[in-house]
Amino acid sequence: MEPPNLYPVKLYVYDLSKGLARRLSPIMLGKQLEGIWHTSIVVHKDEFFFGSGGISSCPPGGTLLGPPDSVVDVGSTEVTEEIFLEYLSSLGESLFRGEAYNLFEHNCNTFSNEVAQFLTGRKIPSYITDLPSEVLSTPFGQALRPFLDSIQIQPPGGSTVGRPNGQS
Amino acid sequence: MAENGESGGPPRPSRGSSAAQGPASAPAEPKIIKVTVKTPKEKEEFAVPENSSVQQFKEAISKRFKSQTDQLVLIFAGKILKDQDTLIQHGIHDGLTVHLVIKSQNRPQGQSTQPSNAAGTNTTSASTPRSNSTPISTNSNPFGLGSLGGLAGLSSLGLSSTNFSELQNQMQQQLLSSPEMMIQIMENPFVQSMLSNPDLMRQLIMANPQMQQLIQRNPEISHLLNNPDIMRQTLEIARNPAMMQEMMRNQDLALSNLESIPGGYNALRRMYTDIQEPMLNAAQEQFGGNPFASVGSSSSSGEGTQPSRTENRDPLPNPWAPPPATQSSATTSTTTSSGSGSGSSSSNATGNTVAAANYVASIFSTPGMQSLLQQITENPQLIQNMLSAPYMRSMMQSLSQNPDLAAQMMLNSPVFTANPQLQEQMRPQLPAFLQQMQNPDTLSAMSNPRAMQALMQIQQGLQTLATEAPGLIPSFTPGVGVGVLGTAIGPVGPVTPIGPIGPIVPFTPIGPIGPIGPTGPAAGPPGSTGSGAPPGPTVSSSAPSETTSPTSESGPNQQFIQQMVQALAGANPPQLPSPEVRFQQQLEQLNAMGFLNREANLQALIATGGDINAAIERLLGSQPS
Repeated sequence: MEPPNLYPVKLYVYDLSKGLARRLSPIMLGKQLEGIWHTSIVVHKDEFFFGSGGISSCPPGGTLLGPPDSVVDVGSTEVTEEIFLEYLSSLGESLFRGEAYNLFEHNCNTFSNEVAQFLTGRKIPSYITDLPSEVLSTPFGQALRPFLDSIQIQPPGGSTVGRPNGQS
Repeated sequence: MAENGESGGPPRPSRGSSAAQGPASAPAEPKIIKVTVKTPKEKEEFAVPENSSVQQFKEAISKRFKSQTDQLVLIFAGKILKDQDTLIQHGIHDGLTVHLVIKSQNRPQGQSTQPSNAAGTNTTSASTPRSNSTPISTNSNPFGLGSLGGLAGLSSLGLSSTNFSELQNQMQQQLLSSPEMMIQIMENPFVQSMLSNPDLMRQLIMANPQMQQLIQRNPEISHLLNNPDIMRQTLEIARNPAMMQEMMRNQDLALSNLESIPGGYNALRRMYTDIQEPMLNAAQEQFGGNPFASVGSSSSSGEGTQPSRTENRDPLPNPWAPPPATQSSATTSTTTSSGSGSGSSSSNATGNTVAAANYVASIFSTPGMQSLLQQITENPQLIQNMLSAPYMRSMMQSLSQNPDLAAQMMLNSPVFTANPQLQEQMRPQLPAFLQQMQNPDTLSAMSNPRAMQALMQIQQGLQTLATEAPGLIPSFTPGVGVGVLGTAIGPVGPVTPIGPIGPIVPFTPIGPIGPIGPTGPAAGPPGSTGSGAPPGPTVSSSAPSETTSPTSESGPNQQFIQQMVQALAGANPPQLPSPEVRFQQQLEQLNAMGFLNREANLQALIATGGDINAAIERLLGSQPS
């Protein structure tokens, strides 16, 4: 039996603040943040991310954010595209609906983490998933929490992932 | 003896169901491990023997998840678990999580995954995400101006009415070239919001084929358009007419200075013919199809102002100095002999587009306006067509829904600027006006040419009244008359022939139609106070009667009009003294002159409202002798 195909899985990391966080965070938050991270999973030559509009996909680097600031290799997966899309559709209907988006608790990085584990069994780097708690542990973050909670991020340029119909 | 059982020994409790087992390094003994199975929607825990195969695992799962085993796809650590594998093989130990995907029913292949199938499905399913991503292009417009196509299309749609497109074009030209109309349009909050969006403006401008041609010829224009700073400044200027005037004044000053430079005039003229003319043409032709053409032209003129604004900061060019660096402006003729003048004059020349455009437009406006007026008044059909245009109707509707806007428009119309008194009078009446406009009876009456004629006759009659019997109404001036009529008749709506008089006045903001109302002389119909019909005399007859009745003199205009209206519409008021009594004196005079036919005299007097000379002429005209 031929070995199953392995598909590389990458994590695209974007700094939403475009460097501002690195400069201003010591002043504003009192601690150094390297960036405001937005991540997406790239597999099967497509980029998948979660925003206020639900799970979206686009060509890699195809959102308005442009090319990623860094790329992390998550591993490889045997999961085929078909199964993966099926999985994403289920996710999009259950856990990762658009309205479930919350900047602190259930954001794009949550999604990327989930998907990375599904695909490879590994998690994404902790500095990304720890960001919300980092911010909230500062008085500034606490003070701004009500405002920040209402922020919904949806990088333009993606199309929503839906259930594939009659896909062969 | 009974040791048989002993040899067997008590069954080892290894098969007991215990939660926490020992270390996982007990390969031989099948321990029960607890494996979490996680689907996108739920999570379940399964206790299975450690050494079970994936197939067995799936069977347990399929019972719990109520699916068939061949629908289940198990994934662990990125690997898809095949049926013949074992859990241990994949390193699935106690407490770990395995992912599960349940394939939907209509999937042809039942197996979990086989490499060949996977490869096959990969190629086919690869196309699906492609098709998923192709719609991205339409969504990826970051500014969300996808709706703009609709907007621009709508604007052109609303204007290009096949009925009388020429008239519309003309009208728009007149309207938009009149500075007051410009001001009105600028003050419209909707237009302002349009203006304040530079991207929107850019799209609108680019959508115009004229501009596109212009841009092709002069690429600097496209630079100007695409520079958001310039656009923003331009729009600021366009929005603020005072600023624009200021700008133009500065330009004119600079321009006139430049003219005096030797060779400068020629350069200027060249600039004009090369740049300004096509720009002007583009701008003018825009008027026909683009409601925001004023913005377009002002924007293009604004582009012209842009370079000249920067130019103005520099000192005026020194003709004896070496030529300054040529400004990037929309000029094609750089080959000018007078190099020193050309650099600055080019930018100034383009800047003068505004001035030139206005000059030309103002020249247009006078004869054009006049002819337009004439056209309209002579052909009531035009009015009807105009009214039935959806564009007009929507405008009326929006006017009525926005009383402040309507007030602004009407009160700023040139008709009223001359008479602030009238403005004041009109102001409170406006809501009533607009109500009337909404009334479908009003609209149908307005589109009835005969009704319009009747209205004009009445207006004429009123005017004649005013001139001939000024004592009748204390504040009854010709200009005010119509306004009064409009306001007064408003409340008396139900009287059908008089009702629609009111809405005539709202026409005034629409420039060319405006003068229909107040300026009776411009109108063709020869309506005189007596329309020659028996109801006619009641108008004039009621008028003198009003002099006798004290209520009208002291009362407000409205009462007068009301009574007049009643007189017209209702039965002959009993308080009218007979014409004979009224014209007693005149009759005697006519008798003395030799007009012995009392009946004819009387009729003539009635027709002319007591004017002896006119009555004589009538009598002479009717009598051959």
